[in-house]
Amino acid sequence: MLQNNELLKIENLSIAFGGLKAVDQLNFIIHEKEIFGLIGPNGAGKTTVFNCITQFYKPNHGNLYFKNIKDEVINLVDLQVHQVIRQGIVRTFQNVELIRELSIIDNVLIGAHIDFKTGLISQALRLPKAVKEEAIYREKAEGILKKLGIYERKDMLVFGQPYGILKKVELARTFMSDPKLIILDEPAAGLNDVETLQLARTIRQIRDEFNCSVLLVEHDMRLVMDVCDTICAINFGKFLAIGNAKDIQKNPLVQEAYLGKEDEDE
Amino acid sequence: MNIKKLTFKPWMGFILFGVLLGLIPSLAQYTNLVKTSTIVTIGGTLIFAIAALGLNILLGYSGLISLGTAGFMGMAAYLSAYMTVDLGLPFEVSLLVAILLPTILGVLVGLISLKIEGMYLAIATLAVSEILRKTFEEFEFITNGFSGKSARFPQLFGFLQLDRASMYYLIVIMLVIAMLLTYNMMNGQVGRAFNAMRGSESAASAMGVYSLKYRLIAFALATILASLAGVMYVHFIRFAYPSTWNLKLSLDFLAMIVIGGLRSIYGTVLGAFIVFAIPDLFLKQIPFFNQLSYVLNGVLIIVVIMFYPNGLINIGYDLKKIWLKIRKGVENVTK
Repeated sequence: MLQNNELLKIENLSIAFGGLKAVDQLNFIIHEKEIFGLIGPNGAGKTTVFNCITQFYKPNHGNLYFKNIKDEVINLVDLQVHQVIRQGIVRTFQNVELIRELSIIDNVLIGAHIDFKTGLISQALRLPKAVKEEAIYREKAEGILKKLGIYERKDMLVFGQPYGILKKVELARTFMSDPKLIILDEPAAGLNDVETLQLARTIRQIRDEFNCSVLLVEHDMRLVMDVCDTICAINFGKFLAIGNAKDIQKNPLVQEAYLGKEDEDE
Repeated sequence: MNIKKLTFKPWMGFILFGVLLGLIPSLAQYTNLVKTSTIVTIGGTLIFAIAALGLNILLGYSGLISLGTAGFMGMAAYLSAYMTVDLGLPFEVSLLVAILLPTILGVLVGLISLKIEGMYLAIATLAVSEILRKTFEEFEFITNGFSGKSARFPQLFGFLQLDRASMYYLIVIMLVIAMLLTYNMMNGQVGRAFNAMRGSESAASAMGVYSLKYRLIAFALATILASLAGVMYVHFIRFAYPSTWNLKLSLDFLAMIVIGGLRSIYGTVLGAFIVFAIPDLFLKQIPFFNQLSYVLNGVLIIVVIMFYPNGLINIGYDLKKIWLKIRKGVENVTK
């Protein structure tokens, strides 16, 4: 079902809410180690596509073939939400979803939830293997925080941290599970220009260091054009165009979707 | 300050806390500061603290409300009394069975929690608790109905007969173990999963936390602690009436963890003292406050939620902060 270096193949994806077709017969393919951008005007159905991939929504039709960490091809539609991360897909959220009452490092450690092998009883008794396991992942989390430059804040509560930091914590959490595909829902929203530039660097760094693909939805066109290898444009849930940044900018359908149709009378 | 942090491990704190609690009876024996009846009150408070710890796991960490704590505690109390007195089973066996059976029921309630949340979960658990209470009244074969069921101080390992004083020590040991294990669990992977479930359901499931599993674990842990408290209660007070296990008791557990501090282990014990021991030991001595002690809990909850949402356990840190500020101020003035 998947060719050599294809990672995720979206085939005839459709979902409707009541009468509204949020996503309609959408097809695209994400390759390994690719930074893939999904763009479209407000309400185009970008986040819905995300939610379908991560199984927060169950699509009405279509298949989502994915080559998981064991290199087996699976159909994501058969999974439940909490099983998706085990296949190697992890996501961030449009409105940062962190646990306010926990410290930054504990929030990052939630990302390693599925990797823990010790059970409740060994954890309750602090058996050596549980202590060791906790230490291993704590060290890993600290390493990631160092890379993102927020290590000094690791013991601070998430509550009250600036938005830019929260975005980084959420990003750090996704790295904990060593994913094959990271899905970023509007990573630049709420960031200032400097932070956005930094983000572009970080996204490339993610791809190179963690050897994974990145799928992102973003409104900041500069960021998308800057970092994405391939961009797919959609509007009203329908496929518009796919290609690299130049192709997309030149594509008349994309221009029309963003800027409106030129009036023929003038 | 740093050296202190490095050498002082949390478990030492719990052991020290247990030793301090264990000193209270000797204090009663050798000085006249503490009356013997006080020991019963404090022992009872510690028992309630064990059950409240369970509710804190459920509500504080996992964000699942339960108004059924009293029912489960009562169920364990009656079961243990029936098994030791009527069936003549050893205490250890009855302890295990009296924890196991309510826990199975608790897990079933956990299954309900998948479908309903918040207020409705509170109502459903309240209903379960009321059904249990009605059962205690009607099921005279085991519970002896309204006349109440009596039990004895337990005999450990078949030869070690406990009395009131040694039973008190057993309660302290159980509380310390419960605090220690709760602390370990809540500061590891499972605790983080509970926190994630409460803080953001979508983040939790995206990170692979299977909410069915963790909700059931949360309910199981809460029921285990409530049942342990029930067994301790019936063998310490040596009597159980159906009217003990009513809504008011469940609400008192809620009051304990809210006043003491959600997600705080010491806070839970502090809350138990504020809700149970203080009215019993001090307020009842004052004629006018005799009946008002129940009103006090309600007032306290409102005041704490409004002005101190993290619970009274944090008052220490805040006082320290203020003290440091004052000292700094004084230093500045003297300079």
